[in-house]
Amino acid sequence: MMATANDLIGNVQPNGSDEQHSERLDATLLRRLYAYMLKCRIVEERIRTLYRQGKFAGNYFAAVGQEATSVGTTLDLLPEDTVAPSHRNFVANIMKGTPLPLMFAHLYGRKASPDQGRSAPAHCGYAPLNIITPSSTIAAQLSIGTGIALSNKMQHKQNVVVALSGEGSTSLGSWHEAVNFAGVLKLPIIFVIENNGYAESLPASMQTAVEDFSIKAQGYGIPGARVDGNDVIAVYTSMRDAIDRARSGAGATLLECKTYRWYGHSEIDGAKYRDPTEVENWMSRDPIPAMERRLKPDNLWSEQWKEELTAGFNREIDEAIAFAERSPSPQGDEALDHVYSFSIRERELDRKTWAPKYELSI
Amino acid sequence: MAVMTYIDAINAALHEEMERDPQVFVIGEDIGRMGGAFRATKGLLDKFGSERVIDSPLSESAIISSSIGAAMAGLRPVPEIQFVDFITPAMDAITQQAAKLRYRSAGTQTCPMTIRVCYGGGVGGGLYHSQSNTSWFVHCPGLVVVAPSTPYDAKGLLKAAIRDDNPVMFFEHKKLYRSIKEEIPDADYTVPLLKAAIRRQGTDITAISYGYTLQPTLQAAEQMKKKHGIDVEVVDLRILAPLDTDTFLESVAKTSRAVIIHEDNRTLGIGAEVSAIIAEQAFDCLDAPILRVTAPDVPLLPAAAEMEKFCVVSVEKIVTALERTMAH
Repeated sequence: MMATANDLIGNVQPNGSDEQHSERLDATLLRRLYAYMLKCRIVEERIRTLYRQGKFAGNYFAAVGQEATSVGTTLDLLPEDTVAPSHRNFVANIMKGTPLPLMFAHLYGRKASPDQGRSAPAHCGYAPLNIITPSSTIAAQLSIGTGIALSNKMQHKQNVVVALSGEGSTSLGSWHEAVNFAGVLKLPIIFVIENNGYAESLPASMQTAVEDFSIKAQGYGIPGARVDGNDVIAVYTSMRDAIDRARSGAGATLLECKTYRWYGHSEIDGAKYRDPTEVENWMSRDPIPAMERRLKPDNLWSEQWKEELTAGFNREIDEAIAFAERSPSPQGDEALDHVYSFSIRERELDRKTWAPKYELSI
Repeated sequence: MAVMTYIDAINAALHEEMERDPQVFVIGEDIGRMGGAFRATKGLLDKFGSERVIDSPLSESAIISSSIGAAMAGLRPVPEIQFVDFITPAMDAITQQAAKLRYRSAGTQTCPMTIRVCYGGGVGGGLYHSQSNTSWFVHCPGLVVVAPSTPYDAKGLLKAAIRDDNPVMFFEHKKLYRSIKEEIPDADYTVPLLKAAIRRQGTDITAISYGYTLQPTLQAAEQMKKKHGIDVEVVDLRILAPLDTDTFLESVAKTSRAVIIHEDNRTLGIGAEVSAIIAEQAFDCLDAPILRVTAPDVPLLPAAAEMEKFCVVSVEKIVTALERTMAH
């Protein structure tokens, strides 16, 4: 018998006839969800501009279009809660509270970056707020996240881990090993599948034979839910329930957020493999105006407020960029630091030569 | 003082470190209820309970990855990989995550984890219970690679590894587990993690090895003394990464000749690196070419006794290499 698909929670429509939520959230909370989405959008669009202007090297993996998922899954995490991010979760730093100047110093590969210029631009972690520094091997962060969840459980801490990855990650063995491990040990972790439709160029339909990624949870004995990843209220409330469950010791949850990546896999990918109508359709389901439609009838949103927020974020970004631009780069030989807890400088730089035990005398 | 086998020494180190530090825990396949495939973790479950002695699902990747996360969060995991032959599913976790975590976070996220792994052949284990594969990890900066050759070192190095702040690969040779015994002090001790050892003093030629092959190397040294009156100095590398180069370079500067012995494959084995370092840094000291005694470059180890014998290092092969080097 086929497993039954989970009902989709929440629904953002292109024409604005969005499904209404039965639960009434606090006005401040609703406004914060909106403001964070706007900030993520503005920061990432600025980063894309900077990249095109050649201000930083390497590449960048934008999550523009996915803000409801980015924000709804990470709002109100405690500093001691961990985020295990993928390459597309740079904005998790905004949500956790990494100072913006450090994030831009990171993009620019400056010494002031949390990793002092070592990782690629999109791979920004921040130890003080428990954001794991990402790597490029897909799904690796999920298993490391389970380890942090294991440690939280062993030390009887109430903290949780939010493990973020795209739908492509579910094709890797390590995804399944992580979810299975967390299921067996009842770990306080939430696995979020950000189903943005594409893993690089490959559509989700070619990634797995099931349409509903969340039913994979059934194979591991944990609850799974599927939510409209452009509906920030739906994402937030589903995530809040999963976090409560994890904090209470009831174990892991799998949450699939169905959303869409507006741009290419990276800044050097024109995403020509997609049907323009599909892109247009998803852009008309932009999570930010969708939230405006929800806030406006209750007088929780106005054009003026949006403009004020935008101006404030832009000022903050300008200052962060100025900080990054005047920050020094690391010295070349600093590449020798932080390989081990001890220094390898002497080994690498001062290689002595042994002389024969006796000199030939003529 | 108590006489202990190599496996007893490892078991004692685990008991003592778990008693000493509540942050230390063990995780792996069959390590709890069964006490481990070789009984290295015997008695731990009864003493420390299932929270700190975790019988994990059959997933090397999850064992290592979850240990990395736990280490990041302040614990000191000691995961066990039953055989190094099974370590490949965990290679991403070890080489891309554990090894690079400190580096990619500029020292702000670290991984104090000791991966115990059983390695080595010569017991008829066939292709998937005989491998060494030490070089895979030696080639990966950020990992400390340890391969003790004696019970005293096994205990002292394991304790030092668990207390160390770096990810450590701890290679235990299955053939040593119950074949050698040694007096071990009752008091707590550690063996420094980054120092090689001289196992036999000599003046004529340097033999460099580690782990199990130190045993045939020492026997070969005795034969050289008896047959030819030649004094072989035997260096035990103990730590394969980062290498303590001074100890073997000083020895070669004294003897002018070097033979390197290991049971891993020849190409890019640790012998290749040691040989290159000697050539680069002590070329003027040499009176003869450097020789290596290693397994041939075939998958290790074929099961049939004759083929296995052909591939493994033996006293005879080492003596031949020492004689050839002396005759040069």
